[in-house]
Amino acid sequence: MIPFTLVTKNLAKHKLRFVLTVLSLAVAIFLLCVLRSLVVALNAGVADAAANRVIVQSRVSLFVQLPQSYGPKLAQVDGVECFARWNWFGGYYQDPSNFFAQFATDPKELFDVYPEIYLVEGSKADFLANRKACVVGAETAAKYGVRVGDTFPIIGALYPTADGSAWDFQVAGIYRSKKKSVDENTLFFHYEFLEKSLESGFASGPSGVGIFVLKVAPGFQPVEVMSEVDAMFENGPQVVQATSESEFQAQFVSMVGNVPLLVSSIGGGVMIAILLAVLNTMLMSAREQTRDIGVLKALGFTDGSVFGVLILQSFVLCGLGGLLGIVLAKMSEPAVVKGIGSMFPGYQVTNPTLLEAVGATAAIGFLAGIAPALRARALSVIDALRAVR
Amino acid sequence: MKDATAAAMIRLRGVTKSYSRGGETLTVLDRLDLDMERGGFYALMGPSGSGKTTLLNVIGGLDRCDEGSVEIEGEDIARMNGPELAAWRAEKVGFVFQGFNLIPVLTAQENVELPLLLTKLSRRERHEHALLALELVGLADRRKHRPSQLSGGQEQRVAIARALVSDPSLVLADEPTGDLDRKSADDVLALLQRLNREFQKTILMVTHDIEAAQRARAIVHMDKGGTLGRIERVDAESSRS
Repeated sequence: MIPFTLVTKNLAKHKLRFVLTVLSLAVAIFLLCVLRSLVVALNAGVADAAANRVIVQSRVSLFVQLPQSYGPKLAQVDGVECFARWNWFGGYYQDPSNFFAQFATDPKELFDVYPEIYLVEGSKADFLANRKACVVGAETAAKYGVRVGDTFPIIGALYPTADGSAWDFQVAGIYRSKKKSVDENTLFFHYEFLEKSLESGFASGPSGVGIFVLKVAPGFQPVEVMSEVDAMFENGPQVVQATSESEFQAQFVSMVGNVPLLVSSIGGGVMIAILLAVLNTMLMSAREQTRDIGVLKALGFTDGSVFGVLILQSFVLCGLGGLLGIVLAKMSEPAVVKGIGSMFPGYQVTNPTLLEAVGATAAIGFLAGIAPALRARALSVIDALRAVR
Repeated sequence: MKDATAAAMIRLRGVTKSYSRGGETLTVLDRLDLDMERGGFYALMGPSGSGKTTLLNVIGGLDRCDEGSVEIEGEDIARMNGPELAAWRAEKVGFVFQGFNLIPVLTAQENVELPLLLTKLSRRERHEHALLALELVGLADRRKHRPSQLSGGQEQRVAIARALVSDPSLVLADEPTGDLDRKSADDVLALLQRLNREFQKTILMVTHDIEAAQRARAIVHMDKGGTLGRIERVDAESSRS
């Protein structure tokens, strides 16, 4: 039998200490949820990558462009159903802080290679018909209040116009994606528009192709397609590297450093720090209750009961902090998406992340409570009653 | 040395208890034989270090003797394991300590209810029993007060209510008046006498105070070295004062 009233009243005895410990835990669990969600968002593209897409890029670097002439040759490779060119545009809306991804691509092939993309507003026909048209991810459209029919002026940092003005894209559609392989923050526009603008001198910038995204036809092995592509351009003029989409996504994530490791290390450090803080609180609290433990044992409560009183205090303390942290993390989701959503597309505090937070909370509760609870269990009645209150 | 062997509720035989301190062995109880009758009120007196509190703790199952048997109502508690001893304490013994030992975060009523958590009583029944015990010690109106809001005498009366709420046959009091002024001490002693006379509780009280000891029915004297001295009957007249 555990006297539960003693559990709650002992916790509430030092209100300031209780509140501060709960708040520390809440902040730690909130941070854990946010950091974990960032890692999940970074890896979402890897996890959801399609098996039948092959990315062809320069073997030197992602930033070295490939010749336009590679396109027709790639189309001849056995197993290549179709392909889309992708070129990083690197622009921003009004102010450099309003940065998000834009790509010049082949509009029809975009939908062929990425069947997970679908329009929720506007029409595909309008997008294909107008060379200045673009489709915008629903998140970005919502963030900047862009609607179908609007002109969306983007200042080209990589492709500046001759007079310094913005590129005016006509919004033909708002898209969403059924998978996380394509985020909902990107703007896609006609590759041809970019080409013609460079030719006419309207803008300047690199004229090659960033990457070719190949769609492998059913019945063909992507590995064989990759080998054939690599072999085809072995002697240049640009040596290429053909990879699966998941490999490409993983490589892209690693370009900003080993973020998952860094983020996990920070999260781990926070957890260890908070564990020590809660352990300290619990040890102080247990020491103050030494005489009470003696009284309980004298009255006939078993060693197991007093163990329960102490370990439950730890679980209740951590449970409250953890719950508060989880609620904060979930409530802050829209604000985080608004703030850094374009850098971490698909940011979401998922159920597995929440379960991890619950697990971390329970682990801290157990680890912080076990030492004082075992000490209380082992105390003799006489020694406990002699303790100075 | 024996007292009232025939009706003995407490029967100690050859009880020995030693402590090791700084490499030395200190014998606190030395082959002690003692019988105490049911319904008795015993004061345990003796110089410091004579083993009074140790004897009380051994009889109450808070401490274990090294040798000998400790039979209470026919059960040898020296042979019980930890959980058995805890259950036995919960059912048979009520403790009153010098420092009151109320739990500071609980109200008077919650303190008194604590031993009842170990019974099968419902929440409501526990509540009623605790209130009854507090009424008995005259503190029903202070039931919602915390120990820090009570005087020393009131705290000790709440402790007595806690000791008797589960209706134990044996009440052990370790210097119950040691921290109290004369008036409060008299109130507490009167209460213990009432428990003994009206409710037939067997009471064993450790005290240094001869006036307190005179309120018992018998005084057991212990000598230095943990041996038993004389047992002195207190005449009814002086124990009534």
